[in-house]
Amino acid sequence: MSKVNPDFVVKISGFTEFNAFACMNCGSCTALCPMGIDLLPRRMFRHVMLGLEDKVLENTENVFSCLLCKMCEENCPKDVPIVENIKSIRWYINREIFKLGKG
Amino acid sequence: MSDKRRIGVYTCHCGGNISDYVDVEQVRDAVKDDEEVIISKNVMFACSDATQQEMIEDIEREKLDGLVVASCSPTLHLQTFKAVAQRANLNPYQYTQVNLREQCSWTHRSNIEKATEKGVKLVKAGIARTRLTEPLTNIRIETKPKTLVIGAGVAGLRAALALADLGLAVFIVEKESEVGGWTRKWGKMFPNNRSGNDTIKYLLDQVKQRENITLFTDTELIEKGGNVGDFSIKIRMKEGETVSLDVGAIIVATGFDSYEPFDGEYGYGLSGVVTLPQFKEMVDKSNGSLNFNGHLIKNIAYIYCVGSRQSEDGDIENPNLYCSRYCCSAAVHTASCVAEVDSDINQYHLYRDMRTYGKYETLFKNAGEKKSLFIRFDDESLPEVEESNGALIVRVNDALDGGEEIEIGVDLIVLVTGMTPRENDNLTNVLKIPVGLDGFYNEIHPKLRPVETVVDGVFIAGVSQGPKTLAESVTSSLSAVSKSAALLMKGYVDLEPFIAEVNTDKCTWCGECEKSCPYGAVEKVICDTKEVAAIIPALCKGGGVCIPDCPENAIEIKGYTDQQIKSMIDVLAKEVA
Repeated sequence: MSKVNPDFVVKISGFTEFNAFACMNCGSCTALCPMGIDLLPRRMFRHVMLGLEDKVLENTENVFSCLLCKMCEENCPKDVPIVENIKSIRWYINREIFKLGKG
Repeated sequence: MSDKRRIGVYTCHCGGNISDYVDVEQVRDAVKDDEEVIISKNVMFACSDATQQEMIEDIEREKLDGLVVASCSPTLHLQTFKAVAQRANLNPYQYTQVNLREQCSWTHRSNIEKATEKGVKLVKAGIARTRLTEPLTNIRIETKPKTLVIGAGVAGLRAALALADLGLAVFIVEKESEVGGWTRKWGKMFPNNRSGNDTIKYLLDQVKQRENITLFTDTELIEKGGNVGDFSIKIRMKEGETVSLDVGAIIVATGFDSYEPFDGEYGYGLSGVVTLPQFKEMVDKSNGSLNFNGHLIKNIAYIYCVGSRQSEDGDIENPNLYCSRYCCSAAVHTASCVAEVDSDINQYHLYRDMRTYGKYETLFKNAGEKKSLFIRFDDESLPEVEESNGALIVRVNDALDGGEEIEIGVDLIVLVTGMTPRENDNLTNVLKIPVGLDGFYNEIHPKLRPVETVVDGVFIAGVSQGPKTLAESVTSSLSAVSKSAALLMKGYVDLEPFIAEVNTDKCTWCGECEKSCPYGAVEKVICDTKEVAAIIPALCKGGGVCIPDCPENAIEIKGYTDQQIKSMIDVLAKEVA
């Protein structure tokens, strides 16, 4: 059981605005990913939107495996700014886990 | 008939469709020497213009008084060949179509010999029936250029305007004291954000400007007599006063009831659990912020398909199996309206399948862009609603996140309720129109005859026929208008003469036929000194249910007499020599 937290999306948008609300879960991004990252970007974005912070922090490796090649973004039928979103997740992980740029 | 009949028989190749599997030459020869058969021919395509012309010439030259065409299904070409008969001055009811294609060649491709044998029998049966045919004439009814519209919602009002503009007199009967139905109660509606209330005001204003529309509110229909083109109806007003009206057609536009969730259905009954119409009213009335019980609303969960697409296997008695069509679009549109009031509100949409079909897809897209989050659940794991310490909690397995179980704390839960048929047994009984499995009024065919009912001259429009959006309701009401206007503006209707006929010598008036007739076409009359049954021609559909119920065997259907059917069975059951 995970609790939905609508404030998380706001928290993660500190560096650049996270916005994947247009996502319709078609899965094109996952299918096209040259790194074969199954959690990115679709399910990871969903965890962010639902505010499942634990799930986001558990998958640090996945988030940093991304090449930012934009294969997914180029082909996203809903024009979700995927790379910007991944950047904001990285920014948050850097702050929370690696304690970078804090204090 | 003492004179010998003169019958022409045409056996069609259908360009191979028949002749590949049935030896049509053999069929032709097998009947050519039959008694009373004057002509027996093969034709390549019986329906071609040239062949039709050939038949007409044959009928006129040989003075034929019976015609048999052995070709395809009567559904396809019965009317074609009836018209051929008519053009040759032969009574069209002395024509018989034999179905040699769908019921013989196409079904018995593996056995040409047996198929041919069956073909011969079918044609001989057709000839036997034709021998016993009599000229019949259509029943012609003069129509009254007036229409009754039942229900003054958006469908009823729009129908009235269109009928009035075609020059027909219209009576609108509305049960409630105000017109407008559900639409009157609503503000912004999809797809163009026009207010429902304004739409009704506009329509009512237009109605008032037309002299040939009479609007009765607080009034109910209590009696319907007569038949297509010439109904006599009685309405009762609030004060108990009754008025009699004569109309040619009736349009039923009685609308719907909103589904009322049962106690405890997704937490219905808890404070903060509301239906979509209730929520819509809250949004319409909101002024700068959305509040519930004095608190600002921050999180909303919508639960879709409440009261629609219910499971047949569950505990629900008489489940609504149908999709209510409008609710998905209405809910996502409402979510956009909410975002306009307060863009900080988090909205969670728990849906089974998102059916914002056609252009309404843009409403779905808009809602998504305004930070609505869509969470899909499976039929097997429905969301659960719980109240703990005065807070509402929804639990759901997010099917789009691998079935992850999530918990959402919300201030308000909106049950996206569907449409249910209007409870209106009295009206249904008075009109005698059938109700479908879903409880809505039944059309004859959903695609081919979508606004007609089995009662000629009674049409159904709008949501009384099944769930629809506002735009679809209007489309359907205009369709009912064109059907009624086409009927009434011609001035008369011709009905097929295949109706029941009572042999008054045999009839003893036991009333069995009256009980069995679903159309109310039987009445008791005095003939000489005795009570007998009489058939009201315009109401009789020739269904024939009265015939086996008659203990005296006193009823027959014209064009389908016992003698004719028996003659066909005799031929079909006989061994081929």
